[in-house]
Amino acid sequence: MNTSNQSGLVQYRFRDAIGGFFEFPTENARALLPTDLQPIEPHHGSSVLSVMAFDFHDSPVGEYGELILSILVAPRVDTGQIWPRSAFWPFRLGTTTPESREHAIERWHLPHYMKDISIAWDRGDGHVTINATDRGEPIVDMTITEHEWSNVEHPYQAFMYDDDGAYTSTIVMAGRFSENEEERGGIVIHSQAMTDLLSNWEVDVTPFRELWMRDGMQTFHPLRHLAAFAPR
Amino acid sequence: MAASVLDYDYSNFFYHANDDPFAILEPFNEWVKAALPQGYYLFSQAMSTPPEGEIRLTEGLHGRQLRLINLSSYNYLGLSTRPEVIAAAKDALDKYGLGAAGSPILSGMMDVHVRLEEDLARFKKKEAAIVFPTGYSTNVGLIAGLMRPGDWIIEDQSAHASIVDGAILSKANVRFFRHNNPADLERKLKQATGKKLVAIEGVYSMDGDVCPLPELVAVAKKYGARIMLDEAHSSFVYGPTGRGVAELYGLENEVDIHVGTFSKALGGQGGYVAGSRNLYNYLKGFARSRVFSCALSPVVAAGVRKSLEIAQREPALRDTLWANVRHIRSRLEEAGVDVGDSTSQIVPIMVRNDRRVFEICHRLLGAGVYLQPVIYPAVAKHRSRFRVSISAAHTREQLDEGAAILIRVLREERILV
Repeated sequence: MNTSNQSGLVQYRFRDAIGGFFEFPTENARALLPTDLQPIEPHHGSSVLSVMAFDFHDSPVGEYGELILSILVAPRVDTGQIWPRSAFWPFRLGTTTPESREHAIERWHLPHYMKDISIAWDRGDGHVTINATDRGEPIVDMTITEHEWSNVEHPYQAFMYDDDGAYTSTIVMAGRFSENEEERGGIVIHSQAMTDLLSNWEVDVTPFRELWMRDGMQTFHPLRHLAAFAPR
Repeated sequence: MAASVLDYDYSNFFYHANDDPFAILEPFNEWVKAALPQGYYLFSQAMSTPPEGEIRLTEGLHGRQLRLINLSSYNYLGLSTRPEVIAAAKDALDKYGLGAAGSPILSGMMDVHVRLEEDLARFKKKEAAIVFPTGYSTNVGLIAGLMRPGDWIIEDQSAHASIVDGAILSKANVRFFRHNNPADLERKLKQATGKKLVAIEGVYSMDGDVCPLPELVAVAKKYGARIMLDEAHSSFVYGPTGRGVAELYGLENEVDIHVGTFSKALGGQGGYVAGSRNLYNYLKGFARSRVFSCALSPVVAAGVRKSLEIAQREPALRDTLWANVRHIRSRLEEAGVDVGDSTSQIVPIMVRNDRRVFEICHRLLGAGVYLQPVIYPAVAKHRSRFRVSISAAHTREQLDEGAAILIRVLREERILV
C-alpha cells in the first residue's frame, strides 16, 4: 500500500500506540537538547522523557514495531498553523525491521539505534506491557494503563536534526484514545546501548501521564526545514 | 474528528519556541475566544455582594444577574463580614487612610502592623511573626529570602504556586516528591547535599487532604532538612486552639517555619511567617517580595487583628465550621458523591471528566449554586472537580439547598448513579 499521497502526507496505521511521560531533572534535558529547543517543565526543574511504542500493521515499509525516546519541548508554530497538543524532540528510535529504520532516517531524519530490536506486547485487562529487547538483551519494560476511551484527532509536532540540517513536522494521531494521570503504570529502563544516554538521568519510574491509542493512524506532514537549530 | 477547543488548556500555551514573544498571543486569544462559551466563562465572574453563603453575581456568558448559594469562597470562619471586623477596619480607615504608602522597611510600617505581628506571634507561641501583603508574597519572600543557588528545596508535588515560585526565584535546586508520600520524600532527600528545606502544606487546597506531618517531619529530621509548613488552609481551623495541623499533631516545635494567610479563615488578606526572632530579622532584610511591596493596608491589618481576636475568643466558630463540614459531607456521602481523599473543610466534588465538568458547572450555575470547574493543569488530567469550601457562616438551609442541587445535577448528568 502506498500511503504517501499527493499532498506529501505519509500515513502509518497501528494496532496500539502507547506512551508514558516521565519526569527527570531539567539539567539532564538541557545537556542533550539542541540549543534552540526548550524543554517543557511540568514542575520547575523537571523535564519530561516520553517513551512511546508503536505496533504498526500497515505502512510504506510494511508491518513493524517502534520504540521512541523523546524529550517534550516547546512548540514552534507559524501564524495560521495548527497549534500542537505537544511537541517532541525524538533523540533515539529503535525499530524491528531494517526497512522501517532506513525509511525513517532517510525520510524523517530521525536518529536511530542501528540494530533491529524486538518488542513484545502483552495486552492485559486494562493495561498493556511492552518488553523491548535486542537479541534477548532487555532495553525497556513499560506498562501503561487505560482510562476512558474516545475518538480523537490530535496534532503534535516533532523536531529532528542530522548532518543535513534541522526540520520539523506536524504529526496527526487519530484513533481511539485513552489518557490518564493516575500513576498506575511503570517503567524499567535497562542499562543497554539504546538507553545509554539515560543512565544518569534520574528518570522517575512512574509515568505522571499515560497515553494509549488503539486502531489508529499516524500521519506525518511534509518536513519543514528550520534555519536556526544547532546541536549542543 | 478534528481536535476541539477542549482538547487544549492553558498548559498548551505556556511554551513556544518562536522568535517573537508575541507569536503566542494570537493563537492563545483565538483559543480563548472559542473556549469562553465552552465553559471558560465560568472563571472570574463578577460578584456584587460579600462572599457570604448567598451571593449575587453577573453571569459571564450572557450578563444575567444571578442569586446563588455560594460554595466557593474561603471565609472559613465567616469573619469577613462580622460587624466588629468591619467596624475595626472602618476605624482604621478613618485613622490611617486607605493605604500604607510605603514599604514596611521604610515608611509603610504603622503601629497597627506592629500590633498585628505581636498578636500573631503570641497566638502561634513563637518568638516573632512577620506580615506580608499577600499569601503569595509570603511564600515567595520567605523561600527566596532564605534559600540560595546550590541549596535544595524538596516540595510536595501539590505545593501551592507561591511555594513553587519562591523556589524558582531562589535559584536553589528543586525536587518534588509525590503528594503526601514520606517514602518519596526520603528518596529525594537522599540525593540532596548541603542546605535543605522541605516545603509542605497542612491542608492541600485542591484535594482538601491533610499532610501526614509526623512521618514527613521524621524523614526531614533524619536528613537534617529544615521544615516549612504552610497552613494557609489549616490555620485557625485545625488544632485544639486553632494553631493548625502542627498543633493537631503536637509538632509545633519540630516545624521550623510556620506560614499562614489571613485570606482564608480570617476573611481578610495577607500572610505571615512565624518562627524565631532571628528568622524574623533575616526575612525583614531579605524577603524581597515584602521589602519591595507596599505594606499591607492598615485597614486590612486592623480588620485582620479583630478577626484574629475573634477566632481566639470564640472557639465555637470552629465547632460550627466542623459541624457544617460534617453536615454537608454526610449529605453528599449518603448520596454517593465522590469527595476524594478530603477530610477538611475543602470538599472536592470529583467529576473526573475534563470536558463535562464545564457543562455540569454551567448547569449548577443555572440551578443556583456558585462553583468553578477545577481542571488540568490545576489538578491532574481526569481529576476534574468542583471545590466546595465550607464556612461557619453557612446556614443549614444554604448547605442543604446547595447539596440538594449538586446531587440532583450530578444525577441528571449521570456522574452520580
